Amino acid sequence: MADVAYESNPMTVSDSKIAAVKRSGAGDVRFHALTVAAAAIVVLLFLGMMGALTEGAWLSIRTFGASFVTSQKWNPVTEQFGALAAVYGTLVTSVLAMALAVPVGIGIAIFLTEICPRSLRRPIGIAIELLAGIPSIVYGIWGLFVFAPYFQEHIQPWLVDAVADIPVLGTIFEGPPYGIGMFTASFILSIMILPFISAVTRDVFDTVPATLKESAYALGCTTSEVVGSVVLPFSRAGVVGGAMLALGRALGETMAVTFVIGNSHKIHASLFAPGTTISATVANEFTEAVGDIYHSSLIEAGLILFFISFVVLAAAQLMLRILHKRAGGVAA
Amino acid sequence: MDAVVTEKAKLSVKNLNFYYGSFQGLKNVSVPLYDRKVTAFIGPSGCGKSTLLRVLNRIYMLYPNQRAEGEVTLDGEDILHGKQDLNLLRARVGMVFQKPTPFPMTIYDNIAFGIKLYERLPRSELDGRVEDALQRAALWTEVKDKLKESGLSLSGGQQQRLCIARTVATRPEVILFDEPCSALDPISTAKIEELIDELVKDYTIVIVTHNMQQASRTSDYTAFMYLGELIEFGDTEKIFTTPTNKKTEQYITGRFG
Amino acid sequence: MTIAINKRIYHGRKRANGVFLTLSTLAAGFGLIWLALILYSLFYNGFSGLSLKVFTEMTPPPGQDGGLANAIFGSVVMSLLAVFAGTPIGIMAGTYLAEYGRYSWLSDTVRFINDILLSAPSILIGLFIYVIVVATTHTFSGWAGAAALTVIVIPVVVRTTENMLLLVPNGLREAAAAMGAPRSMIIRAVTWRAARAGMVTGVLLAIARISGETAPLLLTVLSNQFWSTHLGGPIASLPVMIFNFAMSPYEDWHKLAWAGALLITLAVLTLSIIARILESSRKN
Repeated sequence: MADVAYESNPMTVSDSKIAAVKRSGAGDVRFHALTVAAAAIVVLLFLGMMGALTEGAWLSIRTFGASFVTSQKWNPVTEQFGALAAVYGTLVTSVLAMALAVPVGIGIAIFLTEICPRSLRRPIGIAIELLAGIPSIVYGIWGLFVFAPYFQEHIQPWLVDAVADIPVLGTIFEGPPYGIGMFTASFILSIMILPFISAVTRDVFDTVPATLKESAYALGCTTSEVVGSVVLPFSRAGVVGGAMLALGRALGETMAVTFVIGNSHKIHASLFAPGTTISATVANEFTEAVGDIYHSSLIEAGLILFFISFVVLAAAQLMLRILHKRAGGVAA
Repeated sequence: MDAVVTEKAKLSVKNLNFYYGSFQGLKNVSVPLYDRKVTAFIGPSGCGKSTLLRVLNRIYMLYPNQRAEGEVTLDGEDILHGKQDLNLLRARVGMVFQKPTPFPMTIYDNIAFGIKLYERLPRSELDGRVEDALQRAALWTEVKDKLKESGLSLSGGQQQRLCIARTVATRPEVILFDEPCSALDPISTAKIEELIDELVKDYTIVIVTHNMQQASRTSDYTAFMYLGELIEFGDTEKIFTTPTNKKTEQYITGRFG
Repeated sequence: MTIAINKRIYHGRKRANGVFLTLSTLAAGFGLIWLALILYSLFYNGFSGLSLKVFTEMTPPPGQDGGLANAIFGSVVMSLLAVFAGTPIGIMAGTYLAEYGRYSWLSDTVRFINDILLSAPSILIGLFIYVIVVATTHTFSGWAGAAALTVIVIPVVVRTTENMLLLVPNGLREAAAAMGAPRSMIIRAVTWRAARAGMVTGVLLAIARISGETAPLLLTVLSNQFWSTHLGGPIASLPVMIFNFAMSPYEDWHKLAWAGALLITLAVLTLSIIARILESSRKN
């Protein structure tokens, strides 16, 4: 261990170190600046998107004013545009899709975390996560080629007859069986967001500390009581947040809807009638639209979608942040 | 404060106060750390001994709401002022942590990482420096045939010696040990303690420990801290046999802590 | 002393639990059946439409034989461009969030906006790029499509990079800092390296995400019946081709649409599975 080289004068060692540190200092500042610039790009993309959509929509905003959202007249020939039908279709299909997908998705999550035999949990969980990543266009063409024809032939006529005399249901489910329409679009949409809701809800359930659940079981609680009084209350914010993320997806979803909604700018009481959504309208008409005002109107419809989804997604972030704070607080 | 004053202080702490946000972690601490001696800090958990250590290389600066006030001098120069270059300070004051922290790279690169921070060396010279550092950490014979394996593949005790080798390789003047053995088994602990005995020939060593035997075995001077204050500092033998302060006596005889 | 158990309450609770368990299981069965049906149709129709021609021949006019070679090529090129452009930006921004900006208000803002972009409707990204690229250059183009996909890649990479860097223990950063390593060196040599597998996973997931994106390409690249390597003009891509073919009345085109959908799905599944394997190797 008697290493003479180590007994060098500390001052000279420091001198060489000073030089080395000075060399690396400049690179340090540059690297930091690069990361800040990249972070700024993220913000600029968002602001740019808002700005570009507003600019593109400006002509339409000036021409139609508030009537754009109150009128369902969408006539490219007379260049009269009102997006009410598309906004209505967007909201209705999303809400219906959520009404089906949320309970089923939560059911799947409960099944996976509490009921399913342990050996099946991982494979089914992984399968659901993989399904959540499948492009929506796959759901769209399945709806168009498989579901809609079957539905039109075997279910729709029977359903229309069965509920014809019941007051409200009769109106909601009436009309010729096209196969495609608002109902089919909502159904495909709900199947598309189902894996996503299940996966998010399962993850949220997993944030419930095991000790919390164990102590409830130790009191003699049944599974339903543990889920109802421990798991759900603890993870409520996360479940709501996850559902809102799913709603955000449903609102803006294009491909699962465009194929099967029928693209009609008329609001019907019946869910079996064709309709449209903002994204389906843009996807169907944008590249074939002629004239500045037509383009501008489509972009304004997009701007409306931007604001609706912004509100929903921002609320989702807020809920998820509440959940994370709580989960962190308990763990610490 | 009746220590032997004939020694030369490498680091000197004067009237140091430390804050975590609004919580005061250190209260008016003054203590000398003598050149090429081992100084041990003991005291119950939360007494501020690790906090003090983290001021000596200013690693606390990684966290924005922590701040230190007072004076700490290294070879007579204040290191707490704003213009102090932190990288340079840390090049002179190395640190070994409680849990082994091998970087996610090969054993060789773990050592070379620190050397390359300050020197551009030809490969052969670098090899020599790596070997020398591993020798000094008494790890060479165990790893010389697997230098290209990941540092994470070593056992806990070996990982900790790798971290010591890594620190030694940058040729610091002071080495801080923050409870270096608390995550290790007794045999690895003994090896590290032997190592400290060797290292003190060349380096000023400061060690924080909650193991009093370890303090008495390894150190020349001992400081006892309690609730953020320095209660007593002196010759290790004297602190452990005839402490002047009542609290110190209670602690080392195991009546609290 | 025995505890008096109220049998009525006890049996009521048991029954409620039974109903609850049955409902959850039925829900799971109901959901999983639809998903299985979709996969079945996709694989059945996709494989029957799949042949060597799909990879070697151009998209055909109606009523003739052909493949998807030009569409596959266009998709691959645009996706690669988007990944090369988006990954560095995403990694640097994610690094800012996890390393430099951990305690700053800027990173809270960036994180919030990034999470919004992450779930923003992709058709809006198409409109955005249409307005700033297509409308100003007066032409639909492969470049515009790649730009739209880049906007989708960035938030995915930012999110995974930040998450993975946050998993790196602080002790490692402290240890590197204690050796006097400058911040940028700590990040590049230590934390990036420790988080490498996770960051690669993020990039793979980003590729998976864009490989099926249809709406933004529809508005920015249009499509092209022919082989084209000219990124300054419209070029073919798989998702848009599937869209156009599925909407057409021709049987042959429908077959190709199924085959294309199967190809995309297989690509996405492969990428996700590789990502998963990487992820689990990181955890061990």
